[in-house]
Amino acid sequence: MKPRLPLTVVSGYLGAGKTSLINRLLSEEHGLRLLVMVNDFGAINIDADLLAEAGEDTMTLTNGCVCCTMGADLYMAIGDVLDRDTRPDHLVIEASGIADPARIAQVAMAEPDLVYGGIATVVDGQTYASLVADPLIGAQIERQASVADLLLISKLTSPDPALTLRLGVQSRAAVVDLADGNALAPLLFGGVPRSIPTVNGRPHAPYVTWSSSNQILLDYDALLAKLKNRPEGLFRFKGFVADASDRGWEVHCVGPAVSVKPISQVQVTKVVGIGLEGQVTPAQIESWWLA
Amino acid sequence: MSDIVVYFAKKIITMDINRPEATHVAVRDGEVLAVGDACCADQWGPVTHDDSLKDAILMPGFIEAHAHMMAGAMWEYAYAGFHDRIDPNGKLWPGLKDNDAVIGGLSDYAEGLEDGAPLVGWGFDPIFLSSERLDKKHLDQISTTKPIAIIYSNFHLMCVNSVALEMAGFDQTTNAEGVIKGPDGQPTGELQEMAAMFPVMRRLNIDFRGLSQKETSIRAYADVSRRAGVTTVTDLYSEMEEEDVATMLRVTGEESYPLRIVPALGATSGPKVIADKAEALAKRSTDKLRLGAVKLMTDGAIQGWTARIKSPGYVGGQPNGIWNTPPEVIFQLVEELNSRGIQMHIHVNGDEAAEVTLNAIEAALRKHPWMGHRHVLQHCQMMGRDLFTRAADMGVCCNIFANHIYYFGDQHVALTIGADRAERMDGARSAIDAGVNVAIHSDAPVTPMAPLFTAWCAVNRQTMSGRTLGKAQRITVHEALFAITLGAAYTLKLDREIGSIQTGKRADFTVLGEDPTAVDSLTLKDVPVLGTVFGGRVHLL
Repeated sequence: MKPRLPLTVVSGYLGAGKTSLINRLLSEEHGLRLLVMVNDFGAINIDADLLAEAGEDTMTLTNGCVCCTMGADLYMAIGDVLDRDTRPDHLVIEASGIADPARIAQVAMAEPDLVYGGIATVVDGQTYASLVADPLIGAQIERQASVADLLLISKLTSPDPALTLRLGVQSRAAVVDLADGNALAPLLFGGVPRSIPTVNGRPHAPYVTWSSSNQILLDYDALLAKLKNRPEGLFRFKGFVADASDRGWEVHCVGPAVSVKPISQVQVTKVVGIGLEGQVTPAQIESWWLA
Repeated sequence: MSDIVVYFAKKIITMDINRPEATHVAVRDGEVLAVGDACCADQWGPVTHDDSLKDAILMPGFIEAHAHMMAGAMWEYAYAGFHDRIDPNGKLWPGLKDNDAVIGGLSDYAEGLEDGAPLVGWGFDPIFLSSERLDKKHLDQISTTKPIAIIYSNFHLMCVNSVALEMAGFDQTTNAEGVIKGPDGQPTGELQEMAAMFPVMRRLNIDFRGLSQKETSIRAYADVSRRAGVTTVTDLYSEMEEEDVATMLRVTGEESYPLRIVPALGATSGPKVIADKAEALAKRSTDKLRLGAVKLMTDGAIQGWTARIKSPGYVGGQPNGIWNTPPEVIFQLVEELNSRGIQMHIHVNGDEAAEVTLNAIEAALRKHPWMGHRHVLQHCQMMGRDLFTRAADMGVCCNIFANHIYYFGDQHVALTIGADRAERMDGARSAIDAGVNVAIHSDAPVTPMAPLFTAWCAVNRQTMSGRTLGKAQRITVHEALFAITLGAAYTLKLDREIGSIQTGKRADFTVLGEDPTAVDSLTLKDVPVLGTVFGGRVHLL
């Protein structure tokens, strides 16, 4: 059986910086084979040094990442990726500037071969306040932020407390300023990047990591109950959980979203968590999980 | 045999004011050579007389100016709708009036399927059914071994049976919004929106993309059109990948293919990319495949509360609808395409969408004046006299969704915009009076393709419940017949070639069993279509 494919949706209005974010992710050393789907990569300028080859509707990068255009039918394009002989490690969809990212991300909750990897919405720090006040388009832009699991603020030279407050009221998402030069892949894709061996080695990393492997057994209801009480600031949580019966669970939590899908027998419960620094500590995660 | 054939008909309604009626039409090389009486072509040399249509009424071939090629291809699946419908092969599918009828009708169909083949139905619409909501229990009565998926008429929902749920891995642990669960925590079988339908569609090989692109779809489209008396049809949102264009050129290029298709390229990329693609396509046009126009989306649909409408908004207090293309991008697309001389068909359902689009066209025309652009607003459902006047001022055509009055008029009164605005919906009278060039359409497969039915809607404005919705907006039979012939031809820039029976135009006719100008206008929709003549070739049903 092919491994499940995690899906992250990158959203944001026109000009917010979605393409810049994707370029940044493609050039980080995350060690993942990404597949990025865009509406039209004519608009994406990929650094020539990263580019291995370009075809009519795909571009392959030297690190094995692939970009492809999705055409009009996003879902059919997702089906094509799932049907590939070898699936990428992570699928990233750049939503159109007007799309409701939640509608797209729901497919990862529904499709058993996909894993919900979250919604990352890029917010233009300079124009957001005036855009959401626009009588024609404001409500749609506001929703892109409201449904996000991760809000990425672009184009600010110094922090804007009013914007931070506004986004905090509007959304349960973690907020990160893109001006901070930290690696973004762990927040968007989970896992621990190769280039960052330990959390403690990077005092300015915006996250902490934790992992656990033991003989914990949880049935579906008990697992859901536990996940419901996960600590604030535990941004990502994923892994395999053993059940006393002959099946186990594949668990993915991103921000407020929880996805639990059944899998065949799990021998050992193994989970990892990524939290936002300053909001949660590995010890807090550990005590919640073992409680 | 002479290469000139003179057809005799009981009556020929020409839509040409110079000779509104005739009894004979002479055809040579697919073109009308003369119109008049039995001697009309004698000046041209020896003629062959053909009396096979002597009991029929001829009209200019009908033009369906807003439809989609899926209208033909959907018939690969079982029809499960409320209204009677006739498939491309002429088979009547009786409307299924409640859940028991759905179960019975589909059980018969299932018996004809191969073992293991999925049963896929379409056109189901619970709005019209008073029975309990359709769920997996009902569909399990049809089969507990075959997967079943019934697609709703709006394409946003489906209902599936237990086998299909299992194939998609949907159970109590599924935590997706669109997978509806019952009080027992188990999925009911109802799936809402594409994200939830996708896992089932993927496993049952339901491919909407393939529906518009296969050779069989192009042929089925011709069959659907011929049954409706249509000789020129649009496909108003086409992806036009290279492979599709090649297939369409090949199939439509066959001499016996009885239909002219006018696809409009969907504007899915940036302005320049779309303009370049449209220009390249235009160069490949043939008589029966007219390429080069572009379709723009703006808002959603009124019955889904996704149309962008002006104050005071929806009567239920729903939030205003959504833009499928942001207004600033509408301005960019319209400016670029207009500057490059590319005709646009622009979807506007709500009045706010129409206004923003007219603003965009006005801005584009101030920068790049273009007499005779004939950009077309499509649907135009909530435009009032003011917006129609602006359209007329700028030479913008309006293709009005007249069928909506019958199919959704009652819902609009009760649920979306209320009686007063519903009474002026699809206001063909205001549009014509404002001086707009008007066409009317079905948007097939959203509603069935049948231009005489569409004309009936514009003339009578009757809803499904029998209510006359907005008497003031009714138009005359002649105006309605003009809208499905010459009016529609004008919106496609084809009025030089088609739309009337007139010397020098293509010999495209609709063959009718009765005279639509002589019947009671309430029975206009019942005038039988006997077939078409396309380029002088007779294609009776």
